[in-house]
Amino acid sequence: MKALEFRRNIPRYAAARLAGSFTPGRGSGVGPIRLVDADLPELPNQDWEIVRPRLSGICGSDLATIDGKSARYFEPLVSFPFIPGHEVVGDLQDGTRVVLEPVLGCLSRNIDPPCKSCQDGQLGNCEYVTFGEISPGIQTGSCCDTGGGWSIAFAAHTSQLHPVGKDLSDEAAVMIEPTACGVHAALSTGIEPEGTVTVIGSGTLGLVTISALRSYFPDVKILATARYPHQKSLALDLGADVAIAPNEIKRAVRRMTKSRAISLSTEDGNVDRLTGGSDAVIDCVGSSESITDALSVTRPRGKIVLVGMPSSVNIELTPLWHREIQLVGAYTYGTEKLADGSVARTFDLAADLVDSAKLDRLLSAVYPLSRYQDALEHAASAGHRGAVKIAFDLRSEKERDLL
Amino acid sequence: MKNEKNLAPRPGFVLDVDRTSPPVLFHHGDTFKLEKLPAGRSRVIYPPEPLEGLRDPDSAIRHALENPIGDSEPLSALLRPDMKLTIAFDDISLPLPPMRRPDIRQRIIEAVLDLAAEAGVDDVHLIAALAIHRRMTEDELRHAVGDRVYDAFAPSGRLYNHDAEDPEGMVVLGETPHGEDVQFSRRAAESDLVVYVNINLVSMDGGHKSTATGLSGYTGLRHHHNVHTMRNSTSFMDQENSELHASNWRMGKVIRDAGVKIFQIETTVNNNTFGRSGPLAVLQKREWEWSARDRASFVAMQKGLDVMPSSARRQIFNSWEAPYEMTSVQAGEVEAVHKITTENVYKQQIVEVEGQTDILTMGLPYISPYNVNSVMNPILVMCLGLGYFFNMYRGKPLVREGGVVIMSHPTPWEFHSVHHPSYIDFFEQVLADTTDPIEIERKYEKQFAEDEWYIHLYRNSYAYHGVHPFYMWYWGSHALEHLGRVIIVGGDSSAVQRLGFQSASTLPDALEMASDVVGPQPTITHMKNPPIFLADVK
Amino acid sequence: MNAITSSLGKARSFINKSGFPYRSAPTPYGVEPAPVKKNTGSDFNTDWARKYPARLTRAMLIEGFMRPAMKFLADPHISGVDRLSGIDGPVIFAANHHSHADTPLLLSTIPDPWRHHLVVGAAADYFFSTRVGGTISSLVMSAVPIERTKVGRRSAEMVRDLIDEGWSLIIFPEGGRSPDGWGQPFRGGAAYLAIRCGVPVVPIHIYGTGKILRKGKSLPRPSSTKITFGDPLMPDEGQNAKRFAEKLETAVAALADEASTDWWQARRRAYSKTSPDLTGPDAGGWRRIWALGKNDRRSQRKRWPDF
Repeated sequence: MKALEFRRNIPRYAAARLAGSFTPGRGSGVGPIRLVDADLPELPNQDWEIVRPRLSGICGSDLATIDGKSARYFEPLVSFPFIPGHEVVGDLQDGTRVVLEPVLGCLSRNIDPPCKSCQDGQLGNCEYVTFGEISPGIQTGSCCDTGGGWSIAFAAHTSQLHPVGKDLSDEAAVMIEPTACGVHAALSTGIEPEGTVTVIGSGTLGLVTISALRSYFPDVKILATARYPHQKSLALDLGADVAIAPNEIKRAVRRMTKSRAISLSTEDGNVDRLTGGSDAVIDCVGSSESITDALSVTRPRGKIVLVGMPSSVNIELTPLWHREIQLVGAYTYGTEKLADGSVARTFDLAADLVDSAKLDRLLSAVYPLSRYQDALEHAASAGHRGAVKIAFDLRSEKERDLL
Repeated sequence: MKNEKNLAPRPGFVLDVDRTSPPVLFHHGDTFKLEKLPAGRSRVIYPPEPLEGLRDPDSAIRHALENPIGDSEPLSALLRPDMKLTIAFDDISLPLPPMRRPDIRQRIIEAVLDLAAEAGVDDVHLIAALAIHRRMTEDELRHAVGDRVYDAFAPSGRLYNHDAEDPEGMVVLGETPHGEDVQFSRRAAESDLVVYVNINLVSMDGGHKSTATGLSGYTGLRHHHNVHTMRNSTSFMDQENSELHASNWRMGKVIRDAGVKIFQIETTVNNNTFGRSGPLAVLQKREWEWSARDRASFVAMQKGLDVMPSSARRQIFNSWEAPYEMTSVQAGEVEAVHKITTENVYKQQIVEVEGQTDILTMGLPYISPYNVNSVMNPILVMCLGLGYFFNMYRGKPLVREGGVVIMSHPTPWEFHSVHHPSYIDFFEQVLADTTDPIEIERKYEKQFAEDEWYIHLYRNSYAYHGVHPFYMWYWGSHALEHLGRVIIVGGDSSAVQRLGFQSASTLPDALEMASDVVGPQPTITHMKNPPIFLADVK
Repeated sequence: MNAITSSLGKARSFINKSGFPYRSAPTPYGVEPAPVKKNTGSDFNTDWARKYPARLTRAMLIEGFMRPAMKFLADPHISGVDRLSGIDGPVIFAANHHSHADTPLLLSTIPDPWRHHLVVGAAADYFFSTRVGGTISSLVMSAVPIERTKVGRRSAEMVRDLIDEGWSLIIFPEGGRSPDGWGQPFRGGAAYLAIRCGVPVVPIHIYGTGKILRKGKSLPRPSSTKITFGDPLMPDEGQNAKRFAEKLETAVAALADEASTDWWQARRRAYSKTSPDLTGPDAGGWRRIWALGKNDRRSQRKRWPDF
């Protein structure tokens, strides 16, 4: 069975880091990822099923792993060798089309009683991802026992599977997982109905976040930074009020929030940071620069939500302290409490949003597994090349039908 | 013995370009280009040569003060010991470039203050009538009014910049029959006499505009600094056909009826912008009259500028002070004075031109009214080309309706953050959204005009008011409506694109692009400006 | 050598190939050529020739070269210098004019304190027609351009400025060298300048320079000369220039008489208005030349030493 396997290999890891620092995505050629002929994963117990992916997306965190940039933090939370791929729409053996909710929580690990987070329905926050019947792994795609989406088939716990309606195309369904992240981020801002939100970055995460914000907070003002023209027009289309270049963020937020500016001298007309600012900032980039920008445009007691995986950054935290800004993370999803008090699973909300906002348009290109290097490079330079989401298309793989 | 006998200045004229015509000098920001225009269908308008200045400006000023024009007493008869006297004067935007010392304002203000001292007037204020322009720095004020005046009045706070956003300092005097609010400086309104000191560089300046605009603020200005007015000012350099002036004149009447007595002193200068001799003199000579020395100095200058960083070039040009000479001075009642002033401006600047053209080319220089000692940003490039140069006409525009304007300027994406903070936002936000003046006015003007940060910077720093970039855009709105296309040669292409114009790397390319709009074999007219001229188009 | 010619050739071909602004542009068809701003003739600026470097050069030329040369060529016999003792400050020296030798002769014979504060009124159209000629004239002779025919306002102003600055002027009121050996009538120019400037005029008669280098000759020939300074004449307020010119002419004629006879006879003839006319008989043809011949014979005699 064809699969893209990621092995622990320190020299290759270093090579990937080097290559990736020159050309994003180039780590795929020299790094620890290889197209292999893997065995079909064994099912841990009767609650597991074989899923044959149809489309399998490439996520920003996958790319960081491939270019050797992901934090060592994850080392104990994964088990090698693993097959990446957690944004999956696929078929069950009986032909049902399903979407994967990749978190490997207490339920799938057969841990009873489950941890506190899982009890509360906050699957993403599961505390026992290194325990239980299967090997460590925060999600499908990082655990050596389950396989992952970048292959012909993998194993999934029935609790991870969400059947997809007939009307939803594969292209839409594969967007549900990333959209769920956006929904979770948007809802975790806890913003007032007429507040202001700044979204930094208009890649896949930024765009789905904008869409989610617009959907759940129809009256907030949304400002988005977008580096490329297609990102700008998509951001505006999905509900941003203003889309500007990343280096224009401070002036733009100042205008939107009618605040004043501070720089070396208050008189020199430059904008280093704002006196007031945005009620919430959602950082979908996660770099030192973007977090620093976020800190300079968030109002006192405002909130910064980190959606982009930050890895290790270097930031001046004085403003966080002085302005009493909250810096919170938003990793995956679980259960959401909506403004009207109702409770819903993030995945269900995301599925609705993908349908209503037609987020299938964010899928720009698909590749067969055999062209994985091209696919990964394309994904790594998606903005530059006018794309948003890149995915592997496994629907026409011959091996698929042999299973 | 002086051997600087000047030959009689020659009038401007129109050169028909043929195969033997030399390339024409184009200003190109802080550099220059020599451009060959197509033979047989191009013409070049050359400005008149500088008129002789007055031999004794100081006695001419004293004569004017004592022999007023129109319904006015001599200045000395208007001065009383217990009166409130306010002297308002033109700001840094005039003349362009700044003139060599002594500035005309200094000469006049000293003459006025002499009379005031003689009459024993105690309460005198001097105000730089800058409306919503940036405040003048101490150096700039010293240059304009001279050190004697500055040292006598500034330390005690009696010489200062107009502040149109001072809630206590501004007052609405009334409304014109057209429903326009007339906003005015409270100090000026409460004075027994306002003496206005003007330098009339172009025919747009002066008259009631001096006070009705110069001592006003956003509340008053918005009634005539708007797209509707500018589109109905054809052109704003021709008072007879300018809605801008009609509105200012209506406001002038309200100011007069409110009991504000204005003694207007207007002056004109010749167009000796670059000097009859000296390093830049070649810029105001006709190419075929360049001597070997002129050509050598031009080549050396051009080569030198090419290797310099743009900041060094800017510094060199910003330090240039024009050897302007005063050609007339007249004082008295505003309208009567301004009539004569305008005639004197025309005497220097009018060039008769026969008929319109398909393509109008212009080489934009390094300076516009709003970037003295500053950076010429893309919005100012637009305003200088489509606002000022395009409107340097009387009768009808030099270029036909649907024609093309080609401007030569490097148009860097560069702003002076102290002087033009709201311009940066205008460029990043407003122009990124739309370049349609009506849309811009409707959607964004209020937001910028009332932005507190801009107001803070305008009042406390040296920033143009938040709404000022809008006025720059409105200044070009008549041209935008009239033209089929605007092309900038040699500009930063992303900045040019943001302006909504097309970018060409060379003039021949631009002419090629223009022919898409105006057809093959178009006629071309080049404005060889500066020195400034006003085309009288028949 | 080859390198020089080849680089010259390169420069030439560069300039040939490149157009404006490396080469001048022709005046376009149909355009009035620019009126030329003259800096020759009466517009020639001679300010520099009265700055110290030029004055020093000139003083060296006069003392080191001109005076010995004149001593050899002209052997000047000077009289009447004592008549200048009563005057103080700038004056106008008005002399008759026969030769180019007149100016160097005067420059090396006019006494202090005037000698190094002299300017020479020189025909604007002759000495200043080119820049090079004008430069040499003003450096060597301290010449200033004066219109030959009618002194213009500018020349007059210039001279007045110079006199105000303390310079004295040498002028030849005849307006040019004698064509035939006889004098020419004095024109009003010098008189006009004197009236305008209000300074005394010192009449000078120069005898014999016509022999050295008369008009039309280019090589000088030694011959003895006589220079006679006359009593300074002061123009009256508002005096007619023409009348003053006549007075000057008469004074020079009297000096000529004095030079050829003696002071007493000359004075008597002057008062009886019978001084020999400088301009010669009012007749044409041979009689003028014959009449001149009488003087000539007399001077011929003088060339030999008196025993």
